[in-house]
Amino acid sequence: MVVEFWGHEFKVNIVLGCIGGFLIAIVSSMFGFGGGPFMVPLMTVGLGLPMYVVVGSSLLAIFFNTLMGTMRHYQFGNFDLLFFLIMFPAAILGGFIAPQIAKRVSPLTVKRVAVAGLVLLALNLLGVY
Amino acid sequence: MKRFWVSMVIALSATVFMFYQSGAFAEKPKETKAPVAKEEKKAEAKAEQKPEMKLDMSVAPTIQIDKTSLDNGGTITVTGNAPAGKQVYLEVWAEKKVRASRFDAEVDKETGKRPYILYMTYEMPAHYKIYIPKDKKEDLEKIKKEGKKWAYSKALKDLGADIVYSTPAKAKIDRYQATLMGSIIGSRGDMLAAMDEKENKKRSMQLVKARFRSPGKVLAPTVEVSPDGSYKAQVTIPKGSAPGKYSIVAAVDKNAKSQPVTVENNVNFPNVYLSNAGTSLNLFGPFLLTLGIAIFGVLMGAGGGFIMNPLLVSIWPLPHTIVAGTVMPTVLFSQGSGIYNYSKIKFISWKLGVGIGLAMVLGGFIGPKLTEMITLDQFKFVFGWILIILAALMFWQTTPGYIAKNKKEQAILKEFKKKAEETAKAK
Repeated sequence: MVVEFWGHEFKVNIVLGCIGGFLIAIVSSMFGFGGGPFMVPLMTVGLGLPMYVVVGSSLLAIFFNTLMGTMRHYQFGNFDLLFFLIMFPAAILGGFIAPQIAKRVSPLTVKRVAVAGLVLLALNLLGVY
Repeated sequence: MKRFWVSMVIALSATVFMFYQSGAFAEKPKETKAPVAKEEKKAEAKAEQKPEMKLDMSVAPTIQIDKTSLDNGGTITVTGNAPAGKQVYLEVWAEKKVRASRFDAEVDKETGKRPYILYMTYEMPAHYKIYIPKDKKEDLEKIKKEGKKWAYSKALKDLGADIVYSTPAKAKIDRYQATLMGSIIGSRGDMLAAMDEKENKKRSMQLVKARFRSPGKVLAPTVEVSPDGSYKAQVTIPKGSAPGKYSIVAAVDKNAKSQPVTVENNVNFPNVYLSNAGTSLNLFGPFLLTLGIAIFGVLMGAGGGFIMNPLLVSIWPLPHTIVAGTVMPTVLFSQGSGIYNYSKIKFISWKLGVGIGLAMVLGGFIGPKLTEMITLDQFKFVFGWILIILAALMFWQTTPGYIAKNKKEQAILKEFKKKAEETAKAK
């Protein structure tokens, strides 16, 4: 498939993109997260697209998955309204506070902290400690 | 414009919250109705048991409690008299019901086949515990040592507690025969015929384990029985339990049970009860956690769901199905606003996004079905590996080679974005 974006044309292996997207969608909707950090590497490394094409389009692709996953979870009775009403304002508020802080911290430091935190959390989940 | 959106969001969530509140008020009459129906049932049950009851009236234990109301959990002292030399068991259950499900994919010993049946009930008590005599403590410790493979039915038998097990056995359990095709199209499968009483009881025990997981949650060795037959026990309703009535029954035999006594558990603001999850919690806990994770998530460029879900199931006794199903919609809106902002400056390739999006819709259709087929332990295990992969991905993004490449990419990204914004403005 050929994708045209701001005057540039890109050849995209849509089969690889769809298979990867399909698998990421299953896992992410099963465990209830967005899936962005997996989609972006898939599209940049796997499909060889530049970042400026990926940022918006990957969000659109994920949105489809989140919408479907939300509806299905609701259908299976996995949705707790009160719990949602506690978390939703906090998530919105976080979205407004974060850009204020973002100017003052280096993304590299945040990523390093995140790596350490993720490994700790993962080991905890796997029952290592 | 931004302010407009903020106020819209606040107004919207306030409306929804008020709607929910009024909904909660409307629910109240229902709650008062429920006990009546229950009493009728009890009366029926009594009538059925009458012939046996006559025989056992002399041996049925008596029961008294020292308080009738609790504030977000607490300990009740239960005392009473039973025939001398008999072991006394207490059954404690909450009136509030929750959902419990279990996917049976273990090889059947008789037929050698995997049944692939999903058992599901909406009538599991939100709290259920059997208190056993103190001298059985060692037996219980042994069961605890069996780890995750313990069987509730075997534990009940070994501890002699099967005589008092009755409330969950009455729960209506639905069975669904899962098929490969059914799973692909995302249905629960065909509903099977209802089970007989004995089978229902057996399956209800498995569901108790699926819901409460550890032996310590459903069994406690605290009943002290004196040689003269008087007994005393501490019954603890833990913090974070469902509000409402809790019933306690003492039993020495299948047909020698006391009348139930009830305790009212009150849960007040800021503690709230999540009816779908069957858990009460301080609402500031998840609020602050979400706030912190959301900020961190934006900073590191990944949604908060990755960190949010494992923390939620680890900190609070929330079912993983509820966590997955409730966290997902919270990111929906931030994604939507992101798409809106990008689309304003025409920074989305709709062809590419929709193309891959269609494949993702299929995945999103199947995923939530699988959530209820796995246990919490499997959920944690797989999530652990997902996080390790994610950590590796993020680590790769901090390596010098990636940073150098990324710098160029980001510069191009900025340039294109600027161009796009200017074009959008010029129009």
